[in-house]
Amino acid sequence: MTHLSLNNISKQFSTNKVVQDFNLDVRKGEFVSFLGPSGCGKTTTLRMIAGFEIPTTGNVILDDEDITEKAPNQRNVGMVFQAYALFPNMTVAQNIGFGLKVRREKKEFIQTRITEMLALIHLEQKGDSYPYQLSGGQQQRVALARALAIHPQVLLLDEPLSALDAKIRVSLRAEIRAIQRKLGITAIYVTHDQEEALSISDRIVVMYEGKIEQVGSPFEIYNFPTTAFVAGFVGTLNTTAAEVVDPATHLLQIDGVQLQAAEGLDGMLKGDKITIAIRPERFNFVSQERKANILDCTIENITFLGSVVRIQVLVGSNRFYMDTFNNPFLELPKIGDKDQVTCSREAVLVLRQ
Amino acid sequence: MKSRGKVFAWFVIILGMLYFFLPLIATFVYSLHAKLGHLSFQAYTNVFHDPKFIRGFTGSLIWATLTIIFGILLFVPTAFWVRLKVPKARTAIEFITLIPFVVPVIVFTFGLVRTYSHPPLLIVDSPFLLVAAYTVISMPYMYRAIDIGLRAIDVRTLTEAAQSLGAGWGTILFRIIIPNIRVAILNGAFLSFAIVVGELVLARYLVKPAFAPYMMDLIQNRAYEPAALAIISFALTWACMGIISFIGRGGQAQVGGGH
Repeated sequence: MTHLSLNNISKQFSTNKVVQDFNLDVRKGEFVSFLGPSGCGKTTTLRMIAGFEIPTTGNVILDDEDITEKAPNQRNVGMVFQAYALFPNMTVAQNIGFGLKVRREKKEFIQTRITEMLALIHLEQKGDSYPYQLSGGQQQRVALARALAIHPQVLLLDEPLSALDAKIRVSLRAEIRAIQRKLGITAIYVTHDQEEALSISDRIVVMYEGKIEQVGSPFEIYNFPTTAFVAGFVGTLNTTAAEVVDPATHLLQIDGVQLQAAEGLDGMLKGDKITIAIRPERFNFVSQERKANILDCTIENITFLGSVVRIQVLVGSNRFYMDTFNNPFLELPKIGDKDQVTCSREAVLVLRQ
Repeated sequence: MKSRGKVFAWFVIILGMLYFFLPLIATFVYSLHAKLGHLSFQAYTNVFHDPKFIRGFTGSLIWATLTIIFGILLFVPTAFWVRLKVPKARTAIEFITLIPFVVPVIVFTFGLVRTYSHPPLLIVDSPFLLVAAYTVISMPYMYRAIDIGLRAIDVRTLTEAAQSLGAGWGTILFRIIIPNIRVAILNGAFLSFAIVVGELVLARYLVKPAFAPYMMDLIQNRAYEPAALAIISFALTWACMGIISFIGRGGQAQVGGGH
């Protein structure tokens, strides 16, 4: 059942169209991430849900109520900011209880809720501390507790981990996800970090230049990108120009070498110019039994990335990356070696422009 | 070389301190000579027992307090709103706040007298006009102090965080913004206090009891009491500075790491 609906949302600042034709239905308890580069409109969309921006066109429906024109303090929406935004003059407990105090809840209820929230974020001993006495990670957990304390209908998170160091980011994102699952709250998460979005979300909305490029599960977004932008933005990708040879058998060629795709050539004609993409990890060195999609190559470079080894190969005039798991007992080719690489038909993605 | 530089630095510091403290010490010593032949606090006693002093000083205290209240009520919401909603107007507002530095007080005073001494706005006798005029004169100090305070906190994010938690503008202003810039407000308040207490022209021409006109009158008629008054006003200013730095110590630490 749809919990939050964004219908034909657009936002324009003077002549600058920041968000265009944005349509999205979010189910109750779903964790949706808005992913995209800086300036793609993801934060503006989030701010329209929060009420800090009013859409130029379209409407925001929350629990069957049109909240498009409602002031931010009239919506029951919790928000976590990148800069924590804890009130410096208040203790952790006062910060968490602020929203309830504003709502004139009873003292006993506020106290109980503060205790619950402190336990939820594992900061039971820090109730009397001031924000400046906490680490960045602790401050963001308090900000999360403060947003959750008011029982919001939707939790909005605007790049909440960007100001934290890498290790804390990873542990805190798992904690955020665990809390969201435990409470069953609908969450919208804005990030430009693809790994973060892939690891935390039920669904990802990839945005570019104010428009939705693709909506899908992390699995779909990574494995089956439908546009060149999504393919290039999420993960590392080899893209190259190709020519359709036989649309019926999904045959195409790059630099005279024939490749077969599994799908994506419907409605195309022989000789059509297209762009294809292949993930580095979908390439393998050719084994004995392989017959199709074989590409002669020269090893150009080998980069050790820890668990993965990235090999750059030259196929005709195209340079491709190939990722292989780091196996210390397997011999790697040497730079300059002539070899053959291959990929399955399903690995060849035909991209929409 | 290094020690020579240090000696020179100390020489400059001592020279500066002498330049500042010598006249003060001389004034203080002079103020103790009211009784012929020996040192006493007679001049201070005379001042404190003079009903005109009480009237003038109480008058200045009232004007200063009203000016501070009026200034806070006017400039805190203005500076907050400008920072939050119309940041592009900041340059224009800053220019306006500097106008009292450019227009001499005497010109400003005559402008007020001419404008408000005939109908429809015959308010030249009203204490409100004096307080409004003091608010304008103290504007560069008060507004800038508040603006600097607002610069030290993330006004937009704190406001939005409070809004998302259900707070209205009053709650945001009185429970979030003002407590976090209280040191800046105090700075502005004490500077305004010093300006109002020391201001002569406005009080004299708008004919209101105040400290500075009383001091001026005293200089013309008495010898030791003006020196005692100068020391009293210095003590008052230093007491204000002491209070600012005392209150400021706790406040800075809280705001510093909190955003």
